[in-house]
Amino acid sequence: MNKAIPALLALAAFSITGAQAAPKHGGRWIIGMSQCNLGEPWRVQMNADIRKAAEAHPEMGLIFKDAQNDTLRQRAQIEEFIDADVDLLIVSPKEAAPLTPPVAAAFRKGIPVVVLDRKVLGDDFTQFIGADNRRIGKAAGEWAVRRLLSIPEVKAGRRARIVELTGLMTSTPGQDRLAGFHAALQGRPVDIVFSADTQWLEPRAREEMESALAVNPLIDLVYAHNDPAAHGAYLAARAAGRERDIIFVGIDGLPQEGQVYVRQGVLEASFEYPTGGREAVDSALRILRGEAVPKQVTLNSRFFTRDNVAGGGEWLP
Amino acid sequence: MNPPPLRRWLATPAFRALLALAFVVAIGCAFNAGGAFFHWSTHRDMLRQVSVYGILACGMTLVIISGGIDLSVGSIVGLCAVLFARETLHEGQPALAALGLVLAAGAAIGLASGTLVARFRLQPFVATLAMMVFARGLAKWVSGGQKISQAIQHPDGSFSYVDLPAIFQRLDHRILGGNLSVVTLVFLGCVLLSWLVLEKLRYGRYIYATGGNEEAARLSGVPVARTKLLAYGLSGLFGAVGGICQAVQEQQGDPEAGSTYELTAIAIAVIGGNNLMGGRGGIGLTLLGALTIGTLEKILSINAVGESSRLMLTGAIIVAAVLLQRRRAG
Repeated sequence: MNKAIPALLALAAFSITGAQAAPKHGGRWIIGMSQCNLGEPWRVQMNADIRKAAEAHPEMGLIFKDAQNDTLRQRAQIEEFIDADVDLLIVSPKEAAPLTPPVAAAFRKGIPVVVLDRKVLGDDFTQFIGADNRRIGKAAGEWAVRRLLSIPEVKAGRRARIVELTGLMTSTPGQDRLAGFHAALQGRPVDIVFSADTQWLEPRAREEMESALAVNPLIDLVYAHNDPAAHGAYLAARAAGRERDIIFVGIDGLPQEGQVYVRQGVLEASFEYPTGGREAVDSALRILRGEAVPKQVTLNSRFFTRDNVAGGGEWLP
Repeated sequence: MNPPPLRRWLATPAFRALLALAFVVAIGCAFNAGGAFFHWSTHRDMLRQVSVYGILACGMTLVIISGGIDLSVGSIVGLCAVLFARETLHEGQPALAALGLVLAAGAAIGLASGTLVARFRLQPFVATLAMMVFARGLAKWVSGGQKISQAIQHPDGSFSYVDLPAIFQRLDHRILGGNLSVVTLVFLGCVLLSWLVLEKLRYGRYIYATGGNEEAARLSGVPVARTKLLAYGLSGLFGAVGGICQAVQEQQGDPEAGSTYELTAIAIAVIGGNNLMGGRGGIGLTLLGALTIGTLEKILSINAVGESSRLMLTGAIIVAAVLLQRRRAG
C-alpha cells in the first residue's frame, strides 16, 4: 500500500504535465483532432497543415472529426475521443464556454490537450496556440495608412476614403480585426465612408461593395476582414470599371486564396492568419515525449504583397 | 353580376404583388441614399444580385404550384458550382460539354427528388430535405472540401494557376451598353421557360391540377407521377443554372455556395403571392416577388443599415407587404 501512493502521485504528476511513458495503442500515438467546422477553407487548410506535418512522423496516427459548426456535436466528439482513450487531443473549439467542460474532462483524465485558434475558459488544457487578430488588424491598418499616404492627393491634404467589409460582427475574429484596424487609423487623415457586415461571405461582399460604389464616387481602399470578401469587392469594382482606382486589402493569406489573389494583382496585400496546424503537431510530439511546453503560444504571421509574395511573404514587424 | 373590369383587375394577385413592390419602391424613394436609388446602375446591380435567387424561385414556383416544396435547390447550387468549376478550370473541358454535364447533373438530382415524392410517396418536405443534405455532401466530396479556383494544388503542396476560361467572362458580363447583366438575362430566360411550361404546355395545366386536388386530377386522367417528376426535374435543372451563374460570378466553385438560398427562393415565390398550398399562382408573381425582395435588400444595403436592424426591418417589411396584399384582396 505504501508503495502505491507515490506511484499514484507520480501518475498524477505525469497527467498534469501531460507526459506519458509509452503509446497506448500498439506502438503508435493516436491523436484525436476535433475541428469545429470544415465549411471554411481556412479550417480545411488547418486540417491539411496538421495532416502534412504528421506525415513526417509515422509513429503518429491521426483521427479527424468535424463538428459541422455544431457546439454540442463537437462536445460529443471530444467525449468520444476521451472514451477511445486517445494519447493526445487537438481541439479547435467552436466556442469557449460550452466546450470547456469536455476539454477539462479530457485533461483531468490525463489526456494532453492542445487548443487551437479559439480559447476555452480556465486552465484545464496543456497548451493554447493561436494568432492575434487584433495585431493582424492593426498591421493591416498601419500598412493601409502608409499606402494611402503615398497617393499624391492624400499627401497633398485630401482625406483618404476607406470601405470596410467586415466579417460576421458577432464573432470575435470580426470584432478584433475591426478593433485593430481602427486603432491604427486613430488620428490619421482617413475616413471609413462605408462599412457593412459580409458574414465572411464572398457573394455578400460583392453586393455590399456594389452599394458602396453606388453611394461613393471616390473610394481609395477596401479593407476586407477575409480574402474572399476582398475578392468579391474587387469583382464588384471591376464590373463598375473602377477596380484600378481602388486598393484592395484582405486577411487570411491562404496559399490557394489570398496569396493567389496577390499574385494575380487582385489584392495589393493579404495578411496571413496562420492556422497553427504545423505548430500543433510539433507541440503534440514534444508533449508526448514528455517535454515541457509553454501554456500559451501566439503565432507570428506574415503578410503578402506584390513584391514579396513570390518569396513567401514577410513577417509582421 | 360581374364587377367592372377595373375592380376585377384590382383584385388579381398580380395587382396585389405590384402593390407590394410599389410599397418597397416608395421606401426606396424616401431613403434614397443621396440619390443612389434613382440611378439605373443601382437597379442593374440589384437585378444581378437577385438573379440566382430568382432562377431558383422559378423552379420553386413550379414545385409549389404542384403542391410540393423543394428544399434541395440551395445544395444543388453548391454541387453544380463545384462541378462546373472543376470541369472548366481543373479538367479543362470545353464550355459546352461542362454546361451539358452540369445541367444534366442538376436535373438528375431533381428527378431523384421527384422519384422519391412521386413513386415512393415521401412527403416533399422530407424527400427534398434529405436531398438537400445529400447534395451538400456530394458537393463537398466532388470538391474535396476546398473551393475550386484557378489555383490548382499539386501533391507536393505547390500551386499552379490556370487562366479563367472565356465562359466565365461571357456569363459574368453586361450587355446593352453595360446596362444589363447576362445572369439577369439568364434569369429572365428561366422565367420565360417556366411561363411556357405553365401557360402553354399541357403539362402546365397538369401541374395546376395536381397541386389543386391530386385525387381529382388522377381520376380525370392527369399523369400525376410524371407531372411531379417534371416539376422537380425542372427545379433541379434551374438549380444547376443557378449554380453555374454562382460559379461564374465568384470565379470559383465553392462547396458551401447556395446555403439557405432555398429559403430566399421560397420567400420570393410567397411574397409574390404564390400559395404554398399549391394549385394556384404563376411565374409572373414570382418575378414580382424577386423584384420586391431584391429592391428591399438593395435599399437596406445602400443605406448601410446595420445587420441587426437589417434583419428586423426585412422581417417587418415582408409582413407589411404581405398584409398589404391581403387588405386589397379583401
